[in-house]
Amino acid sequence: MEAKATAQAKDARAEALVSSYERAGYARVQPPILQPAEPFLDLSGEDIRKRMFLTAVPGGDEEFCLRPDLTIPVSRDYLASAAAGKPASFCYLGPVFRNRNDAPAEFLQAGIESFGRADKAAADAEMLALGLEATANYGLATADIQIGDVALFAGLTAALDLPPAWKRRLVKDFNRKANLAQDLDRLTLGGSNGRPEYQGVLAALAGSDPKGAHALVTDLLSIAGINAVGGRSVAEIAERFLEQSALGASTRLPKEVRGLIERFLSIEGDPDEAAAELRTLAADGGMTEALNPALDLFESRAGFLAAQGIEPKRVRFSTAFGRGFDYYTGFVFELTDPARTGDPLVAGGRYDGLLTRLGSAEPIAAVGFSVWIERLAIYGGGR
Amino acid sequence: MSAPLVLAVPAKGRLQENAEAFFARSGLSLIKPRGARDYRGAVAGLDGIEVAYLSASEITTQLAQGAVHLGITGEDLVREQIPDADNRVVLIDGLGFGFANVVVAVPQAWIDVRTMADIDDVATAFRHHHDRKMRVATKYINLTRDFFARQGVVDYRIVESSGATEGAPAAGTAEMIVDITTTGTTLAANALKIVDDGIVLRSQANLVAARTATWTAEQRETARVILDRITAQQRARSFREVRARFAACDARLVAAVRERFSVETPFGEPTSSGMLTLHCPPAQVYALTTFLRENGAEAVAVADLDYVFSKDNPLYAKLEAKL
Repeated sequence: MEAKATAQAKDARAEALVSSYERAGYARVQPPILQPAEPFLDLSGEDIRKRMFLTAVPGGDEEFCLRPDLTIPVSRDYLASAAAGKPASFCYLGPVFRNRNDAPAEFLQAGIESFGRADKAAADAEMLALGLEATANYGLATADIQIGDVALFAGLTAALDLPPAWKRRLVKDFNRKANLAQDLDRLTLGGSNGRPEYQGVLAALAGSDPKGAHALVTDLLSIAGINAVGGRSVAEIAERFLEQSALGASTRLPKEVRGLIERFLSIEGDPDEAAAELRTLAADGGMTEALNPALDLFESRAGFLAAQGIEPKRVRFSTAFGRGFDYYTGFVFELTDPARTGDPLVAGGRYDGLLTRLGSAEPIAAVGFSVWIERLAIYGGGR
Repeated sequence: MSAPLVLAVPAKGRLQENAEAFFARSGLSLIKPRGARDYRGAVAGLDGIEVAYLSASEITTQLAQGAVHLGITGEDLVREQIPDADNRVVLIDGLGFGFANVVVAVPQAWIDVRTMADIDDVATAFRHHHDRKMRVATKYINLTRDFFARQGVVDYRIVESSGATEGAPAAGTAEMIVDITTTGTTLAANALKIVDDGIVLRSQANLVAARTATWTAEQRETARVILDRITAQQRARSFREVRARFAACDARLVAAVRERFSVETPFGEPTSSGMLTLHCPPAQVYALTTFLRENGAEAVAVADLDYVFSKDNPLYAKLEAKL
């Protein structure tokens, strides 16, 4: 009896939270629990399979799953609706399903998704404020606020004077959870160089007219009777092959570039301090123009955070934060309990690329967060 | 009568022949008392064992469930089919047959691809160019997923393939494959090449024990006897017996011989008459005989060994530690 009463109390608090989101103008939605598996696999990669509950239509090919999150279902429903492309704001509360070693596979998440807002800085700040409302709703008055902005690293890489293969590699390494700063030591364009049998050809092609070289390699592959093998065209193969010749012997990241990246990744503090440091770095690296758009947005967001009543000194910004979250494109944040370490209570950010990946012809701005109800339920308070 | 120990053996093909030969060498001949078509058998002269003839894949499943005690199957199947394999089964020993590698292979035409780092880069570029992910055909879904995750390759999809995987790139159903190969001939015939650091697993037939099976005292004892015989046979195969008798043979000389030729002295120091028995790795035998003769031996006899039984039973110790 007591357990049941506690469960109801938990539900009541979650309901109260979502009601407050509804009052703030976020329409409550309840997407189906059974979802096509494809979008999740496509966006998160094969690795998510071991955490998903998969099933299939009897006799059919299409795979379905119990929704492992609500962001993708809410986004898909929005795209399929008449409101697609227009500003729209949603909130949700419901079970999600993930195979986890040490916790129940079914658990509750609440959250918000906001689509199509052009005032990105204001929208970002509003998300953080609404996230803080969730922790306050459970009696945690001062959650730790960690923020990041993955657009800054993207801006930095774009501004660096590096061959495209290097830029791809750096962005990818940033998106992985391993320590990039440490990786930089070992970072080489693995395999792209140091291949003895082609070294001579690559060196010979390096100085030649790119168009002619491309035609030569394409011809050679055609002579060998190769047209399109394994879905890659001969042109694609030739292009990347020649890209390697352009890299020449530079298997190591240039020292000064490495220095800039390391300095960038060491920047942290409250948003105002960090912004000043980033401005200096951009000026020193001659990248002011390239980094300006991302930095302007960053500073504007900091202003909106203050306007939301979030004391800047409470906010911990780090350039390196946000790594490991593949689909975020800008602002990222996590709220944690200062008295505990580990898992976030609320987590979210901006994912402007998501709706395009889900099939939207036009890019649609998107930002949101999810609330781990089960992690908040341990708190006794309420309001 | 108490429940027998169940030993699962591959039911057909080369794997069955090799497995039967392996047990026969250890003096354990598998028999089918009720005729050759029977799928249940026994071991001649050894009570308390039931032999179950199953497919290698089925053996793996039954080991994972603890439905059989011991079985012979490929490590590739163990790693692919059993989640958290090390907590459910013990790979007691590699048996020296059924060698095959699970590898990542791409079309030979991909002259820009040599390593997994290349694949990582190509996979990301592919998604941008073609607006879909690169497809990997394989029957090793779990092995592929874990290996690609370790290598940091994210932009790919697995296409499940139950046969003729190596044909998938040419047929246009996948861009690359993860498959098992022994010599690489089939891959080459399909214009595929192995990625330099794309060895997912070096596999061979293994004797595997189920940790979750019921292990009674009798069944443990039967397993101990089987493993004792296997160990004795393996030890015998890795040595030749070298015997000599000469006056100059003393403890100091034996110490030198142990050091130089990695020999073992199963019966200790030379006897008072200078009689010495050594167990020597086959590759070292001739050098050892030369050395002994240079130090005074008139004649040195070398013989093959059938069994070397010893006090310890490392294979059983390995099993027992995990039960």
